[in-house]
Amino acid sequence: MRIGVWGGCLVMWACFGCSTQSQQQAPPLASQVCANCHGPRGDGVSPAFPRLAGQQAPYVEAQLNAFRDHSRGDPSAVAYMWGMASQLDNRSITQLAAYYAAQSPIPGAPGSEALMTKGKAIYEQGLPNEGVPACISCHGPNAEGKDNIPRLGGQYPAYLVKQLAYFKSELRANAPVMHAVTYNMTLEQMDAVTIYAASK
Amino acid sequence: MPVVQRNGAGISLASAAAVAVSLLMCSNEVWAVPSFARQTGLACEACHTVFPELTPFGRQFKLNGYLIDNLPQVKGMTADKSEALLLNQLPPLSVQFIASYTKFNTAVPDPNGGPSQNGTVQFPEAFSLFYAGRIAPKLGGFIQVTWSNSSNTFGWDNTDIRFADQTTLAKENLTWGLTFNNSPTVQDAWNSTPAWRYPFNQTTSLAGSLPSPPPPSGTTQLDGIGNGTVAGGGIYGFWNNLVYAEFSAYGASPHNISAPLNSAFNGEVVQGVSPYGRIALQPTWGRNSLEVGLVYFQDNVVAAGQNVTSGTTNGFRDTALDAQYQFIGDDNIFSAEAIYIYEKQSLNATPGLSGAFITQTSNNLSTFRLGASYFYQRQWGGSVGYFSTSGSTNNQLYINGTPNTSGWALELDYLPWQNVKLAAQLILYSKFNGASNNYDGTGRNASGNNTLYLFAWLAF
Repeated sequence: MRIGVWGGCLVMWACFGCSTQSQQQAPPLASQVCANCHGPRGDGVSPAFPRLAGQQAPYVEAQLNAFRDHSRGDPSAVAYMWGMASQLDNRSITQLAAYYAAQSPIPGAPGSEALMTKGKAIYEQGLPNEGVPACISCHGPNAEGKDNIPRLGGQYPAYLVKQLAYFKSELRANAPVMHAVTYNMTLEQMDAVTIYAASK
Repeated sequence: MPVVQRNGAGISLASAAAVAVSLLMCSNEVWAVPSFARQTGLACEACHTVFPELTPFGRQFKLNGYLIDNLPQVKGMTADKSEALLLNQLPPLSVQFIASYTKFNTAVPDPNGGPSQNGTVQFPEAFSLFYAGRIAPKLGGFIQVTWSNSSNTFGWDNTDIRFADQTTLAKENLTWGLTFNNSPTVQDAWNSTPAWRYPFNQTTSLAGSLPSPPPPSGTTQLDGIGNGTVAGGGIYGFWNNLVYAEFSAYGASPHNISAPLNSAFNGEVVQGVSPYGRIALQPTWGRNSLEVGLVYFQDNVVAAGQNVTSGTTNGFRDTALDAQYQFIGDDNIFSAEAIYIYEKQSLNATPGLSGAFITQTSNNLSTFRLGASYFYQRQWGGSVGYFSTSGSTNNQLYINGTPNTSGWALELDYLPWQNVKLAAQLILYSKFNGASNNYDGTGRNASGNNTLYLFAWLAF
């Protein structure tokens, strides 16, 4: 079975650039280590750890590099990911990011109507009076993200809220633009917009 | 912790005192080790709720052979590029230091009359050295050596060395491996089974040379059999982070013998091969995990002084049902565990109160433990536990007719840092060795053994 897996990995790595969604063989790290918290295909295990399935590859690469060089230092990053990323080489980071990007994103699920209505307004129009720009301008109409801007659709709302709180307090400091975005947001506004974005 | 020779025959007061078995006491304590933190680079909270209780990720780490590693390695390779050596450049070593104060509700009588000192400081009560982590490619281990105040010696403690690998079964991940260990359930991943359950640390003042109440008579094999008695190994698998199954077998491996093992060994000896089986189901959802499982263990034990291969044995068949629930939030952590062990005993070579072998050889014994704990931000919290032993009425064996013992174990904890635990523990007995009042014939009540235990547990 192990030989078969390794053989499969070699074949997949040979045509890495042309792998199809959800068919790509997982790098051993992904299936043996990352899967314990992020799920076998990045599809999630617990809201404590973000889903990675369908996440933008440049974003995943940037985060793994930030964990490795400690430029991202929110409490969960320090406790879990600094250790996990410390011995990753550049090639592993690229392979992991490509693997997760190739997985089918988890479909979002709608939240309560009141929060969804409020969240949709914030996502599409921002909060002009508080200087909060519309999320749609960077994260896209379906919260799919692009390049270094992460996918939000299908993510655990609880994880997204925690990141917004970290950005506001600067406990997570590897995205200065997000500190400016969240500076004037209340927790209620964060709840609403993350429930909406995650539902996409 | 003192290496305690234990047996489940629970028999005459003399032998019970000699082996110093307590319903609550378990020398298999303390398994969270900074060695793993050093090896993985992960903070304690990745694998533990509050040490030593494991998170689901911590269970995966253990079942994967303690191998997840982020330290620079010394590597060796064969001509066909397979790994021949993988040594951590820094060995994953760590220590633990436990200091304590123990006081009983009623002072224990002094052998020469009057009361003993009540309120004993032990500094330390126990000190352990650990090597815990990778040994070789796909081989890892948890190895503990402990100095205990009561014995004033270093003794061999919990050891679990395992080979682990991963494959797929029905398109899902299967972690499988081989475990080699010295105590049934030390290899288990859940905190409901005897080697790993609450209370995780208990006073050793019920045993050893310190004056102490005589222990409750009778404890099951699964509760009591520990390192220094057996060694064995087996094969296990954990499929899709959901289904666990294991089959192992143990044989005699007592300490302090000159090989070959023979009747000159002054202790009880497990005869032949003792099988052990374990299955568990662990569904997880959101921040929750639930485990339900079964454990089976059986052995035949030869009494001290008998021929170790042909002597008459006492037979034990243990079947246990266990469960564990965890909710691990960002600030709030709640967990609960329970285990019920039912033991069928064939006490064919057991001296009774009169000194002669008992004739009522067929007995049963069961133990029940229930525990629940809550922690806020992994700093403040506590636990409540209930324990109970009950067994067949046997007036040849038990001074009060039964071994029945029950009570509560309460604990408050404060962790100023993740690897430092300050605790106040209270054990309250409602029944001890078959009676609530005057259980030993000298007027000592069960509540006299109520124990206040204050301790500082440092792991670094």
